[in-house]
Amino acid sequence: MSYRKRASPLHAARAGAAWSYCLALGFAALILDNPVALGALTAALLLAAAGARVWRELRRALVLAAPLALMIAFVNALVTRDGLTVIVRLGDLPVLGHTDITLEATAYGGVLGLRALALILCGGLYTLAVDPDEVLRLFRRVSFHSALTATLATRMVPVLLRDSKRLGEAQRCRPGTPPSRAALMRAATAGVLDRALDVAAALEVRGYGAARRPPRARAPWSRHDLAFAACAVTIAVLAVVIRFGALAPFHAYPALALELRPGGAAAIAALLACALAPFADRRGIQA
Amino acid sequence: MGRRIRTALAVASAAAVSGCGLGAGSGTSNVSVTVTRGFGAAQLGAASEARVPGSETVMRMLERSFKVQTRYGGGFVESIAGQAGSSPHLDWFYYVNGVQAPQGAASTAVHGGDRIWWDLHDWSATASVPAVVGSFPEPFVHGVGGRRLPTVLECGSDVALACKRVSGELARTGVPVSTQEFGVGSGNQTLTVLVGTWSTLHGTIVSQLVQAGPSASGVYARFTGGGRGLALLDPKGQVARTLGAGAGLVAATDDRNAGPTWLITGTDPDGVAAAAAALQAARLRDHFALAVEGGGDLPVPVQAGQ
Repeated sequence: MSYRKRASPLHAARAGAAWSYCLALGFAALILDNPVALGALTAALLLAAAGARVWRELRRALVLAAPLALMIAFVNALVTRDGLTVIVRLGDLPVLGHTDITLEATAYGGVLGLRALALILCGGLYTLAVDPDEVLRLFRRVSFHSALTATLATRMVPVLLRDSKRLGEAQRCRPGTPPSRAALMRAATAGVLDRALDVAAALEVRGYGAARRPPRARAPWSRHDLAFAACAVTIAVLAVVIRFGALAPFHAYPALALELRPGGAAAIAALLACALAPFADRRGIQA
Repeated sequence: MGRRIRTALAVASAAAVSGCGLGAGSGTSNVSVTVTRGFGAAQLGAASEARVPGSETVMRMLERSFKVQTRYGGGFVESIAGQAGSSPHLDWFYYVNGVQAPQGAASTAVHGGDRIWWDLHDWSATASVPAVVGSFPEPFVHGVGGRRLPTVLECGSDVALACKRVSGELARTGVPVSTQEFGVGSGNQTLTVLVGTWSTLHGTIVSQLVQAGPSASGVYARFTGGGRGLALLDPKGQVARTLGAGAGLVAATDDRNAGPTWLITGTDPDGVAAAAAALQAARLRDHFALAVEGGGDLPVPVQAGQ
């Protein structure tokens, strides 16, 4: 799963706007706790991925993230002692002691799982739709070394995947039993570390350490830049309003309290619309 | 197929026997919760439930009646009704039927008739107060851990009237009492009430615990001058006041071998009589221990200004 230029409004937007859009969605995932709002945000992320034409790639992340979300929900239900409504009595368990599973802990575990799912999808959307080189250019005026490190680290993940794929194919060509995943990972990791040393040496030789702050590159804002930047701000504001404006209060403990006031429903609908609106305008997008 | 059904039935039976099951299970009744601070000096609230759902724990019972903030996944109480420990040695402790529970509130089951008492207090003198008197007539009526325990009364020879009064008060609350000689021992599944002057009790394990201070017994009082004086301690474990002739003490402790033991004692027979007269729910309510002198009650530990 890596960035590839595609014909979509999100890819057409400048990195700053696209990055802000993904950051706003991640921010919303972190502060929203109402399950309806989180569900709407997750739906918005999936629809945004479709709009950015990265649905197929993001679906793989979804398949990996769904069991993780379920596990978070299960573990929270098992270890949390809060909540008044007992739904399953497990008696005395080793390590955990007296264990009762409550409706509240299960529901809150579901919220935590949903939040983790949204954050993973958000990270996936960022990886697939935001050009890391553009991000490097964006941040090199602020902190060149940090931006370089972040970009290299981001690039190392697809390199690691490609390496392991190549190694696996090469080993399958040899006779005998196929290699284990651990052996492949060990070989790929060693290769990446070697490569990291090479990269570090090349950077040193080319004098990257002595780099000075580059001049600001001024480019006119496109309609897509403006749309995604405006939506990023609106999404963040709406998330704050939903969370702290008592529009959709949710308390898991000690007893479940979930309320969706008309204002909250409208704000959630606005958040969903705002996350998808920039994808409606496809003018200037070359297929 | 028959084998599978038998296996499924066996697993279901094992689960049921080990306390597993769906839903909360059968409930219980008449449980009360009291919340105080400063060793019972100030009551912050009280609630009683005529009907309690199944699988109720002390923590759930508390959360049902008060606004509670917890830590560590709901296993530790941070604050109750907005009251939290404001210093490193101030925390919430709880007692069920006047006995400190050996495990966390989230793991302690609630039984019918239980009196749960939460207190926010300074534990710089001791973090463990194994038993308190403030829930009287508990633990004599409903016992400990849902099991009623036999009550054994041990009296000194010079306090017959006080002994009779204690026996009568326990009988009035519906507690059958058996009487035996001092120091005979009654096993670890009993509630023991010792009635006698301090000089008579001197030498018993419980008296040695009390003399060793709050860290050993959880009792913020000790006798001085061979039993002629009664030193009352403050929450820090320092002597705050000393009483003389005619002073009595009602306190409880637990030596972990004999079970909860109540002391109704004094500097002399008059003091023991005064202590025996104080064995009433109204006078003992919300006190960790109670000293009496000249008809006046002095909750122990002694708070500043008393």
